Amino acid sequence: MSESGIIFNIQRFTIHDGPGMRTEIFLKGCPMRCPWCGNPESHKAYIQPGVYESKCLSAEKCGLCLEVCPVKGALLFREGRLYAIDGEKCSRCMECASACPSEAVKQWGVKMTAEDCMKVVLRDRDFYTRSGGGVTVSGGEPLLQRKFVEKLFKLCGEEGIHTCCETTLYASWSEVKGILPYTELFISDIKHMDSRIHRKYTGVGNELILENLKRLTEEKKELILRIPVIPGVNDDMENMRRTGDFIEGTLKGRVRALQLLSFMRLGEEKYRSLNIPYEMKDLEIKREELQKRVNEAREYFSSRGIRCFAGAREKE
Amino acid sequence: MESMKREKYICCEARGTEEYDHSYSLGYEVDHDDWSPFARVNRLRQTFLDREYDVDVERLRLMTEAYKRYEGETTIIRCARAFENILLNVSLHIYDDDLILGEIAAPAKAAPIYPEFSVDWIIDEVKNEPFEEREHDQFYIRSDEEKEEILKLCGWWQGKTVDDLINAALDEDQLKGSEAGKKIFQTNLYHYAGVGHLVMDYEKLMKKGFDGLIKEAKEGLEKITKEDPHYAGRRDFYRAVIISHEAAKKYILRYSALAEDMAASERDPERRRELEAMRDGCRQIAGGPAESFWQALQLFNFATTLTQIEGNGHSISYGRMDQWLYPYYEKDINEGNITKEFALELIEVLYVKMNNPTKLKDGGTVKVRQGRGFGGECLTIGGVDREGRDVTNDLTMLMLEASAHTRMMNPWLLVRIHENTPYELKVKAVECIRAGYGHPKLFNDEAAVRAMMRKGMSLEEARDYAVVGCVEPDLPGKEYGWHDAAYVNTAKMMEMVLNGGRCLDCGPHCMRWERCGGKGEYLGPDTGSLENYETFEEVIESVDRQFKYWTDQMCSSLNIIDRAHMERKPLPYVSAFFEDCLLEGRDLTEGGARYNGIGPQASGLATCADSLAAIKQLVFEEKRFTGSQLLEAVKDNWEGHELLYALVNGPKVHHYGNDDDYADELFRFMFECYCRNVASRKTLRGGQFNPGVYSVSANVGMGLNTNASLDGRRAGEAISDNLGPVHTDGGSHDTEGPTALANSVSKVDHSLAPNGTLLNMKFPQDAVGGREGRDNLVDFIDVYFSRGAMHVQFNIMSSETMRAAQKRPEKYRDMLVRVAGYSAYFVELGEALQKDLIQRSELRF
Repeated sequence: MSESGIIFNIQRFTIHDGPGMRTEIFLKGCPMRCPWCGNPESHKAYIQPGVYESKCLSAEKCGLCLEVCPVKGALLFREGRLYAIDGEKCSRCMECASACPSEAVKQWGVKMTAEDCMKVVLRDRDFYTRSGGGVTVSGGEPLLQRKFVEKLFKLCGEEGIHTCCETTLYASWSEVKGILPYTELFISDIKHMDSRIHRKYTGVGNELILENLKRLTEEKKELILRIPVIPGVNDDMENMRRTGDFIEGTLKGRVRALQLLSFMRLGEEKYRSLNIPYEMKDLEIKREELQKRVNEAREYFSSRGIRCFAGAREKE
Repeated sequence: MESMKREKYICCEARGTEEYDHSYSLGYEVDHDDWSPFARVNRLRQTFLDREYDVDVERLRLMTEAYKRYEGETTIIRCARAFENILLNVSLHIYDDDLILGEIAAPAKAAPIYPEFSVDWIIDEVKNEPFEEREHDQFYIRSDEEKEEILKLCGWWQGKTVDDLINAALDEDQLKGSEAGKKIFQTNLYHYAGVGHLVMDYEKLMKKGFDGLIKEAKEGLEKITKEDPHYAGRRDFYRAVIISHEAAKKYILRYSALAEDMAASERDPERRRELEAMRDGCRQIAGGPAESFWQALQLFNFATTLTQIEGNGHSISYGRMDQWLYPYYEKDINEGNITKEFALELIEVLYVKMNNPTKLKDGGTVKVRQGRGFGGECLTIGGVDREGRDVTNDLTMLMLEASAHTRMMNPWLLVRIHENTPYELKVKAVECIRAGYGHPKLFNDEAAVRAMMRKGMSLEEARDYAVVGCVEPDLPGKEYGWHDAAYVNTAKMMEMVLNGGRCLDCGPHCMRWERCGGKGEYLGPDTGSLENYETFEEVIESVDRQFKYWTDQMCSSLNIIDRAHMERKPLPYVSAFFEDCLLEGRDLTEGGARYNGIGPQASGLATCADSLAAIKQLVFEEKRFTGSQLLEAVKDNWEGHELLYALVNGPKVHHYGNDDDYADELFRFMFECYCRNVASRKTLRGGQFNPGVYSVSANVGMGLNTNASLDGRRAGEAISDNLGPVHTDGGSHDTEGPTALANSVSKVDHSLAPNGTLLNMKFPQDAVGGREGRDNLVDFIDVYFSRGAMHVQFNIMSSETMRAAQKRPEKYRDMLVRVAGYSAYFVELGEALQKDLIQRSELRF
């Protein structure tokens, strides 16, 4: 029986999530809502439309979406151009996205079987073999589609392709365990050590995540940890110190690397396309100051013997 | 992890002066004039950049004088005498700091005039469109007196040139498609100038010297008999060789004498010793073989610049320089005569020197092929020997180091890669590549060797290939390939396919209206139109028929041009560097080389492929539009067809370059259709036509002359470049990243294009940063080549940097970008080409 997943992007030739050259599969649906998220199209588990007003040719010159939409009033126009879709009314039949000639309506998400997904993966097989790369699943939260990931990674295993799962680890251990035998590398974040603050920003506490991290290291799984460094949220030394304590103490230092990713203003257009507010819009970033903080943190972790890099790197 | 990685690779002992993994920089950096560790080299480089591009009248004067004096002689003797007259009388120049002597019968960076090829355009442009007022590629005539002299002397040549002979022979059907007509193919390079595009046998010259070659010519002369029907031709050939090479010797001795004079008055003892060393070196190599590394470089520079004095063909390439030069390096190092550092300094001085020759090109040519250098001086390093063993040596590494230390247009450094290329060499090459100055380019031995064998060469010969110009594989000292013979606008041919053999904008504004549309005639044959094709197969058949018709016109034109060179401009000096010419007593232009060919190259194949995809998908499969609607849209230049325009530029229509078999199959058809229609033909010199697929920067100029196309291109926009995918103002058509592009490109058999294929890739610099970025690039290249592709070159630069350079050109004067097989100074390029370079998709890891 074929497992299908809802995928919102297959990015070939990524080098930032795992070693070597990789194909990265982004799965839809996420239990967390981090305001700095760069992939808001991953939030909902279902297939949905996104609107890019500037690409709309106008109802007058085109109007194909209006012809196919089964719901009156779902498509919202201003000055003749589509600018949003009323989420309450939309039945998500996706006819508008199929009809749109100009990508003004984009379909976020496509249903794909693991086998079909593998066909794309296999196209770059020799690039993985040569570079020690492979496949990474990311999201959203891939564990929400655990069975699909399990199937895909099984298939990868049969082909000798390296597998990596980038996950929030906000999932029950039984879900994590399901993919454990087929996953060679995990990448996960510690967004904040203080559960209260963690909940404030992401909507959930950090206990489950930290517990899963502990178990993963007990299982001797390869693990890369990341801190998305967000100014004013988690860039204080106190949080860094506590993260260091956790890595040294609870995880017994069993991480392949700790990567510090400084905040980038990504995805603002995608928020607009989904008609949801971008909360980081007003955040002033003093790039130099942030860089300084990241460097301080990197030096701090290194001084504690933790292999730490600024950026998604595995090597100097 | 690291040790695992190393185990996958083969290692070598060869080293330059730096560690093989020495990192230079990442991307272009402004305000650098000290890339070289040698102050002398940095000074020479700066002096070069500061110098103006002048027109020099001396060669024109001496050439005309000799042609008048030797009027009664046969053409080849007259050519030799004119060459002699130049060498015996031209002003010589020894510049401060220089360690290698020899210019091209003009001061450094000044362009001589070659009236024997063509003069009409010179007269016309001097009078009506002065070189100094061009938008780019300006040249400056020094005074009004010289301007008058140029006009007067060129006037004498009218009617006597290669160009005149060609014009007398071309018929209307040939002209209407050429640069003189609707520019479906452009044969202007060799119509108006010399051919070049060869690699001389440097190895032999180094060993035997000019005396050795003269001796062989004399022996040849003795051997021929009057029973031979070709007696007179052979006799004159040998005589011409002897005259030319004796003149070469005298010329080098003149340099030796000048060095001596300058040494005598030199106050700085250090510089005096250098001048004396050059005096002695010149004295030795004037007739004899090179006895040291320095002398070998000196002999090389004379031999090469003399070729550029004889004729102005470009892409006089340096062959496998790390190989033929190695014995001299090895000997000097082993005997303690030089240090590795001095060897490197000499190479760097030579590299800077290689930039001195410039070429005055006609206004039409520079639209297609920008840059004021001769261009095409490819220097090949690495690869395998005739038995297939890797040949990497210290010089291979030093030549890469010298490139990173000089960062100039020349030489066009090329590294041959094969399955046993050592890890160190690949890393060194990638370190240079990611420094972002546009060198080196990489060639895949496996594909090139197969391409060479398609030209009838043995496996051993094929393995000895060197690259000429951009991407043309060539056999040094044995092949006269006429590479780069014509640029073919396949997108314009496609226009004929869409519209029944007519231009989309056929009307009274056309310069040919009176002779063509106005009389109810068509530019091409009527092979069907979008209004009446009933199946997609009919479209495909129509493409093939148009290609047949236009390649007929082009190839027959090229044979006419070839014959004109044979009759009016034999090349006795350079012929002596081709073994078979000397043996047979036959000039290079007469087919004296062992392998002969003509290589015209296609541009715009992706434009055609994506046009076919739109037709196939929208008209014949989805049936969403009729053929007439599509035709209407391109006739209207997409005005009022916004929906269709967005659709063909968006991801809902199949596009080449995304590893999408649907579109890639159509690209393969286009590629094979072009190659098939060219490859089946014979040339006058007894060789074959060898198709190539590359455009240099011609795709931009061609786009200006091409109406809208169904890939979503508006009239005037660049057509697709080389093997690259389409990028229009409506969007880049490749969106799946570099692996997908690499896969698409390698679905065609590159060896079907023995004149070379070319792929440009542009990576943003952050994608190749760090150890990881470097290793990924090494691995990427390995896999790409393992799939059978022939060539790849990289621009490591951000669009932001290029835009910044457009705003403040003065800060970015030495910023090189890779255009096609070559690199050029970005700020000197025309605006349209700058835009094209910025648009080429940036591939992000």
